[in-house]
Amino acid sequence: MGEDTDATPTLNHRGFLPDHNYVTEADIISTVEFNHTGELLATGDKGGRVVIFQREPESKTEPFSQGEYNVYSTFQSHEPEFDYLKSLEIEEKINKIRWLPQQNAAHFLLSTNDKTIKLWKVSERDKRPEGYNLKDEEGRIKDLSTVTSLQVPVLMPMDLMVEVSPRRVFANAHTYHVNSISVNSDYQTYMSADDLRINLWHLDITDRSFNIVDIKPANMEDLTEVITAAEFHPHHCNLFVYSSSKGTLRLCDMREAALCDKHSKLFEEPEDPSARSFFSEIISSVSDVKFSHSGRYLLTRDYLTAKVWDLNMESKPLETYQVHDYLRSKLCSLYENDCIFDKFECAWNGSDSVIMTGAYNNFFRMFDRNTKRDVTLEASRESSKPRAVLKPRRVCAAGGKRRKDDISVDSLDFTKKILHTAWHPNENIIAIAATNNLYIFQDKLNSEMH
Amino acid sequence: MIMKGQKRKHPPEEVDVSDRSSPMWESQRQFVFSVSLNKYHHSQGLPEPSLRRSVLIANTLRQVSLEAFAAPSVDMEASPPPCSSSSGLLESVFTAKHHPAETFSNSHSALDEDEDWGSISTDSDFSLSAVISSILTALDSTIDGSSQAAPRTPLRSLENLPAPTDGGVGWVKQGFRGYGGGWEQQEEGRARESSTELMRCSYLSELTVEDLFQDIDSSLLEMDMGVLGLLGSGGGCPTGDDLLRYLPPFSSSPSHPFSLSLNQNLKCLPSLSSFGPLSSSSSSPTCLSSPPFSSQNHGLDLEHLMEILVES
Repeated sequence: MGEDTDATPTLNHRGFLPDHNYVTEADIISTVEFNHTGELLATGDKGGRVVIFQREPESKTEPFSQGEYNVYSTFQSHEPEFDYLKSLEIEEKINKIRWLPQQNAAHFLLSTNDKTIKLWKVSERDKRPEGYNLKDEEGRIKDLSTVTSLQVPVLMPMDLMVEVSPRRVFANAHTYHVNSISVNSDYQTYMSADDLRINLWHLDITDRSFNIVDIKPANMEDLTEVITAAEFHPHHCNLFVYSSSKGTLRLCDMREAALCDKHSKLFEEPEDPSARSFFSEIISSVSDVKFSHSGRYLLTRDYLTAKVWDLNMESKPLETYQVHDYLRSKLCSLYENDCIFDKFECAWNGSDSVIMTGAYNNFFRMFDRNTKRDVTLEASRESSKPRAVLKPRRVCAAGGKRRKDDISVDSLDFTKKILHTAWHPNENIIAIAATNNLYIFQDKLNSEMH
Repeated sequence: MIMKGQKRKHPPEEVDVSDRSSPMWESQRQFVFSVSLNKYHHSQGLPEPSLRRSVLIANTLRQVSLEAFAAPSVDMEASPPPCSSSSGLLESVFTAKHHPAETFSNSHSALDEDEDWGSISTDSDFSLSAVISSILTALDSTIDGSSQAAPRTPLRSLENLPAPTDGGVGWVKQGFRGYGGGWEQQEEGRARESSTELMRCSYLSELTVEDLFQDIDSSLLEMDMGVLGLLGSGGGCPTGDDLLRYLPPFSSSPSHPFSLSLNQNLKCLPSLSSFGPLSSSSSSPTCLSSPPFSSQNHGLDLEHLMEILVES
């Protein structure tokens, strides 16, 4: 599992001078997503840019360069906007990217900021026609008197050019901040969720969307719960799940009613009265929800734990994994410095046997559901030289017995948080976003899923 | 443990919070309460307030206030009850919420048209606790005389303020000033401390009540006097209820300076001002009997209010 992970060279998100310690805010990565084959990896950042990496095909001659990800394309997806009615600036930060399954030579992805979703077409051009009759090589019109014979233009190879163009803009449908988008398994529709509403779109229709969930109370005074994440079922195009800030998950069936305010299933773990604190509600807020690839399970992340739920059992999660329980006694400070509101994402591996999520101090955790083993790894320049094996880390309680290389809870750096992680759909390759750096790790020894 | 560069305060840590009788529980509760208030005010100033964050903070505030009240043995100690005034205030507000007053359906419909404003200002309005704090903020800023330009609020709701508002505001100023001078020196009573905390926190607000009152069309105020007159006619609890009806949604969108919420909050100012200085029952009579207040003629029954507070 994770213990034998090799580190591929760190890929800088930007030309980042190694001596600089400050981080340009616009470079902070805000989302990471592999496409359905894993060949492409897209990242979005706070400055509204999307960078797509492509995996180099494996070559026999250079065994060490096989499977590396290099920059494929960069484009500006969203620009900052100004809402004149409310006198509010709309951030260009990319909240989510989702790839569409590939149906022809081009790739399509959806990217969204707080208000607007855009569909982008990414296509390659590696040939161009040459041999025009009326134009010469530079495009100037030929002197007709010099044309003596007709030729058929032929396609000649050229340097690869990647073109990205916006195909659809889905705007003006969200009053609140969009936190999730999810493409349906029918490949024709997708949904976008903000704090209080979920809308269903058709990929070809931009001027209207269908509202399927609305939890806005008639009287906003009564608002106590918001939607935090939403996702379609990977196989059943009528099912989707959304999570709330109160720690509940709701599975909805679009066949039951047009408006899915009433859930089909409600997943909620009863609160443990002995563990109750002032922050119980805040730490129970679900920050991410992901269906397993099989569609049988749900993975959720709240502040301190990651939970695996069985769709057939609503009363409690199947498995609960403590991500950083040592923070439980520090909740007061974490509330004060706002860290308690951090939204960590989570990810399944391709075979649904391992789950992964991020933590603080550039640590990320992986849990093997079968062996019940877990590992803590660090994504940082110092600890990961190219092709070095990542060393498992350990966090010990302050003042407790401390082994060499252990980190004490009090020395954790809470500004270095790993909020966004992604796992290759088929192989043991993971992408970790650490502030403005992207780390890609491959498990060379165990490339195949098991 | 803390963000780099931040001065370390001392949050109560390592507390077994499920144990209410633990002395740390109360200090942690107060800490959470003051931090939550701070956060709420702070979020008003952010360009992009996150609705999720605001809702969670508001829920925490509400829970913290309710829990304080739910442990009366702790609160009712002879040695100054911790936060009893502030928590009592909030608690009466919250319980009142659950007893909607039928008589105010008419006035409430007046709020409906303001709902349009609410729906326009997106990340709008929720949570009574935050409403309370914004009220207290407004109260405090009159004393503070904050020089920061208060964002103008939509005027519609100001129409509903009771007539002798200026007198009320004046009284508020007077009452608080008396306190203001003594803040630094006061050592008695955590009760005082906690209300002090509240007021201190509200220094963060940019709002000055004077700005808001400037545009009051007094002719429109008459019609609501009758409505407010009913405030005092009910029993102890219902008074709180009616008060509650007026406590509006607040806007967490800062450039819509509390938009409809704070305006409507101001409706309540005259009545709340009677709560304000009453951090402990012993000090109340002086404030209540001060002349400017007694000149207010909107039918508030002060005795009833006193009873509520004493009971809580």
